[in-house]
Amino acid sequence: MSTGSDTPSLDELTAALGEKRARSLAMGGEERIAQQHARHKLTARERIDLLFDTGTFVELGLLAHQHSMTGAVTEPERTPADGVVTGEGLIDGRRVYCAAYDFTVMAGSMGMIGEQKVARLRRKSMLNRLPMIWLLDSAGARIQEAAGSTFAGSGALFFEQVQMSGVVPQVAAMLGPCAAGTAYIPGLADFVPMVKDTSSMSLGGARLVRAATGEETTDHDMGGSQVHCYISGVGDLEMDDDPACIAAVRTYLTFMPSNNREAPPRRETADRRDRRIDDMEKIVPANPRAVYDMRKVLTRLADDGDVFEVKPTFARNIITAFVRFNGRSAGVVANQPMIKGGALDIDAADKAARFIWLCDAFNIPLVFLQDVPGFIVGTEVEKQGIIRHGAKMLYAVSEATVPKVTVVLRKAYGAGYFVMCGRGYEPDTLVAWPTAEISVMGPEGAVDIIFTKQIAAADDPAAARAEYAAAVRQTIDPFIAASWAMVDDIIDPADTRRVIIDALEGAETKRQRRAWRKHGVPPV
Amino acid sequence: MVTEVKAELVGNLWKIVVELGQVVEEDDTLMILESMKMEIPITAPTGGTVTDILVSEGEVVQEGQIVAVIE
Repeated sequence: MSTGSDTPSLDELTAALGEKRARSLAMGGEERIAQQHARHKLTARERIDLLFDTGTFVELGLLAHQHSMTGAVTEPERTPADGVVTGEGLIDGRRVYCAAYDFTVMAGSMGMIGEQKVARLRRKSMLNRLPMIWLLDSAGARIQEAAGSTFAGSGALFFEQVQMSGVVPQVAAMLGPCAAGTAYIPGLADFVPMVKDTSSMSLGGARLVRAATGEETTDHDMGGSQVHCYISGVGDLEMDDDPACIAAVRTYLTFMPSNNREAPPRRETADRRDRRIDDMEKIVPANPRAVYDMRKVLTRLADDGDVFEVKPTFARNIITAFVRFNGRSAGVVANQPMIKGGALDIDAADKAARFIWLCDAFNIPLVFLQDVPGFIVGTEVEKQGIIRHGAKMLYAVSEATVPKVTVVLRKAYGAGYFVMCGRGYEPDTLVAWPTAEISVMGPEGAVDIIFTKQIAAADDPAAARAEYAAAVRQTIDPFIAASWAMVDDIIDPADTRRVIIDALEGAETKRQRRAWRKHGVPPV
Repeated sequence: MVTEVKAELVGNLWKIVVELGQVVEEDDTLMILESMKMEIPITAPTGGTVTDILVSEGEVVQEGQIVAVIE
């Protein structure tokens, strides 16, 4: 078969391909890349290099770009890769998909072609049951392509994310702005680390806010990490810069299986399973009213002292953290007496419930460390809806079918004991330290209710109250719970690590089936 | 810079452990709140001089109430 002399040769075609690829790989050009760096941000491609194991990233859609509304004229120069680098590669040897928005191309705005590329990744993520990662740095939807009522056909990205939820891990790393409806990408993701100062997310960007309501603000003031990692709870972790944020994504994934049908990966450790902790009594004060830092307890219990806290700066009265016990991933929910005495409020319940659902979805066993004086009571918390938020935590801990281990260190009062996986919530093992106080309420509160009349009738009501309280205090004793076989054992605090590991290993073959239902009706 | 110190939950103000004019470091305990069967420290959000104490011992303070000022 002959070809005409004007037909380019394979070499020529390959050279042309190389030029096209180089043009796309150059992103928005040197000037925009310099601006990106001046903002203390890496480019999308630099971020990809940091995220993946060296040389494993395979790009899809490099040669895509924006098309004009008529479809007749293309604009490859203006939108290399259409502003989003998409592809797959390995993280610690395991495959994941990634969409990295390129702020040097039309401010990383989400165009129609770019969105098709990301949709393809979401589909692959579900077909192959592998995690999806977004590296977000985007002005939001590209209004030039989206304005007008063809908007009626859009929005499937969030629908798809909801279908992915609990099937594959979803991570949205905030490395720049994420304005407008696209903030629902992190809103629906499992894990959302944010870079301090440079990242932000809000349902409406500052300009849209001004147009809609007249309020003057900035993207940073409205939606920076100082808001979302401390107040709103949408952000999971505040990191100093892009490399630290991407490292956090990699670390997070080490605790996760690739999908909900797999077990999390194991990591061998030289840390002995029966390592005793001899300084527990120095950390946990004998005075039951005194506070201490539960993080110190957790650090001593975990393999190699390695604790990966999620939402460490939000609702600090409860700790949610990934650790390993004898090499296996575990999610720890621990009260933090240092903050609000460890008492639970709406944000603490919300944070813990979400974390329990996350761990349960991905087969990560749960360990509860209890030192909880109860839920905060009073007019303020009732206005905030403490009942439905508390109920949400009850709901999550009741639904969880992964292995559950509960250790009562000190206080375990009222509904606080329930939501922290008390006996009624099917812990596979429930143990207490000798210092444990398990009761519906404290002695003083109890006598005021039980002995109201007797105290009022006494010659010396204060003395009578103290006397009754002392009597009630006698009944708050972990050995009573143990004697009724309501706790499995009272343990030496120094043995807590070994006891947790024994319990987790004992429950490894656990299979729990609940009654069929379409789904429950969880309080939110 | 003036920093207002707020109570993070409702409770009975049990003890004030600093005095007016005292220089404190960040995280130093300023007062102790008795709430939820616990002695909960109210700590300095920043270092500085305590220029105002707005509550007295035995008083019930509300969540978010300003209890002291540090400059």
